[in-house]
Amino acid sequence: MEKKTKETKPVVSIRHAKKYFLAGRHLFRPSDYVKAVDDVSFDIMPGETVGLVGESGCGKSTLARTVIRIYEPSAGGIFYHGADISHLSNARLRPFRTKMQMIFQDPYASLNPRYTVGEIIGEPMQIAHMGGKDEREGRVQKLLQQVGLKPDHISRYPHEFSGGQRQRIGIARTLALDPDFIICDEPISALDVSIQAQIINLLEKIQDENGLSYLFIAHDLTMVRHISHKIGVMYLGHLLEFGDADEVYENPLHPYTRALISAAPVPDPEQARTRHRIKLTGEVPSPIHAPAGCPFCTRCPECRPECLLAPPVMANQNGHKVACYKYV
Amino acid sequence: MLQKSEFFNPIDKSEQDSEFIAMEPRSFWHDVWDRFRSNRRALIGLIVLLFIVLLAVLGPLFSPYPYDGMGTEVNCGPGAAHWFGTDALGRDLFTRVLYGIRISLFVGFVSTLINCAIGVLYGGVAGYVGGRVDAVMMRFVDVLYAVPSLLYIILLMMMFGSNVGSIMVGMCISGWVGIARLMRTQVISLKGREYVLAAYTEGAGPARILFKHMFSNAMSPILVQATLAIPQAIFQEAFLSFIGMGISAPQASLGTLAQDARMYMAIYPHQMVCPIAMICIIIFALNFISEGLSEALDPTNSR
Repeated sequence: MEKKTKETKPVVSIRHAKKYFLAGRHLFRPSDYVKAVDDVSFDIMPGETVGLVGESGCGKSTLARTVIRIYEPSAGGIFYHGADISHLSNARLRPFRTKMQMIFQDPYASLNPRYTVGEIIGEPMQIAHMGGKDEREGRVQKLLQQVGLKPDHISRYPHEFSGGQRQRIGIARTLALDPDFIICDEPISALDVSIQAQIINLLEKIQDENGLSYLFIAHDLTMVRHISHKIGVMYLGHLLEFGDADEVYENPLHPYTRALISAAPVPDPEQARTRHRIKLTGEVPSPIHAPAGCPFCTRCPECRPECLLAPPVMANQNGHKVACYKYV
Repeated sequence: MLQKSEFFNPIDKSEQDSEFIAMEPRSFWHDVWDRFRSNRRALIGLIVLLFIVLLAVLGPLFSPYPYDGMGTEVNCGPGAAHWFGTDALGRDLFTRVLYGIRISLFVGFVSTLINCAIGVLYGGVAGYVGGRVDAVMMRFVDVLYAVPSLLYIILLMMMFGSNVGSIMVGMCISGWVGIARLMRTQVISLKGREYVLAAYTEGAGPARILFKHMFSNAMSPILVQATLAIPQAIFQEAFLSFIGMGISAPQASLGTLAQDARMYMAIYPHQMVCPIAMICIIIFALNFISEGLSEALDPTNSR
């Protein structure tokens, strides 16, 4: 009994997380804030991949950076195995840093150009005072092999590698400390399609081998569906829908999710011509002056009067959560 | 109909080496040196400078004359016994010029080194911490910058006497300001880079991020600035010596030598030409090196 409850406890819980950035101070009225992440809650279970989708600027990356504590949340809590890490100082975060890692979007910017691959991958171990020099070098070589590179690449510099190879170096770096949770912030969007599949397969292989949990952020809806167990849809800093990947794709509840899925390109031209596309009008509102009601109310085809007044609360429909007045 | 094998062939053995990189591993500094070497002017500048440094360091050991030893042959012209002639007190000018180069180069290099160390540390901390700390630190820099440096150099000279130490202290009081500003802007622009964030998520402390990750990438413009600052410092020292605020006798820098020769300029021009020509050669060499470095460090900068 004890064991079972332990297994079902989430690796990472996000509870009403908010991240506001100061956008401007005023003398006679309250300061302006960019509400990059506004009241987002969900759990990530062991061995599970949670995909986050949403258009550019909806707060996916900010949420990721808040979870890994590059940013400090303005309100709400980030829990790692039940421990609240939302406001820990840098020094007290250090033990958690070894267990949570992040893969960055741009493989050309995420590796320090002045250091060799061995130094880059070995650095987390050096910071954590793990093993001696030879021990670390052996582990770096093993990691290089695990991500499909050669052990003798250890003395090479990042500029000698292609984008896909660099991303694999980035992945090897995150694995150095044997974490159980990795945030992938659009790890494939800077790569060409053939390489994207390689990286995704590598990520899946590593998940199987090391029993990792991922928070996977991407634009590519089909890729997200392929890799994720659960999917969260974000819009203007809010989480609009959250549920099992297939469930969200097969049976999208929120009008925004429907529009998003219908906008994804379909490979079959015949099907693409005949399918029904929900076209949204207008622009995403500024996150500084977000609507008072539902964040999507300005563009929603099914907007009702009550949507303009207050943001809807998350409704839970058998584990498929949605924030919309239609389902309250 | 096509056979399956026409679509699918077993991959060649060589495909297994697809991750092989034929080139030798090359570091950034390796590339910089190659580019620097291919710039002829910069290379000549470097060779000339190294030669002059060698001369200044080793030359006096082989010279038969001490730099402050007076002789009976006064004001003689350049010849076999005295290559640059002698001055009004019968001192061998060549030996004195060598000693002058020593002092000038020492002042130039050491003051620049100190300025760089202070500037990098100060600007790095200001840029990294940011916010109010940064604002206060940079206002202090503005204050220092607003006071003409000649003012406190002369003040220091009067308090502590005319020697190499007080010249250096004077040049280092505000000399680091430029480097500090440069380092600060570099650090601010590097702050958002993903490899810096990656180091942060690995648990790296501020010192590690600042000096390991940021400094290695901010170094190029600072190095160029520093190679430009050396001739500036040499010039400043020569200028101070020339107006009589520099090194005191019997020691001499290139500036004091020129100052000493000023009175006899019309009669014995070589006494003035020798130290001044030496200053020119050093400055030219350093400027060529600096130009070559800036092109080698950032190839997109080159014409």
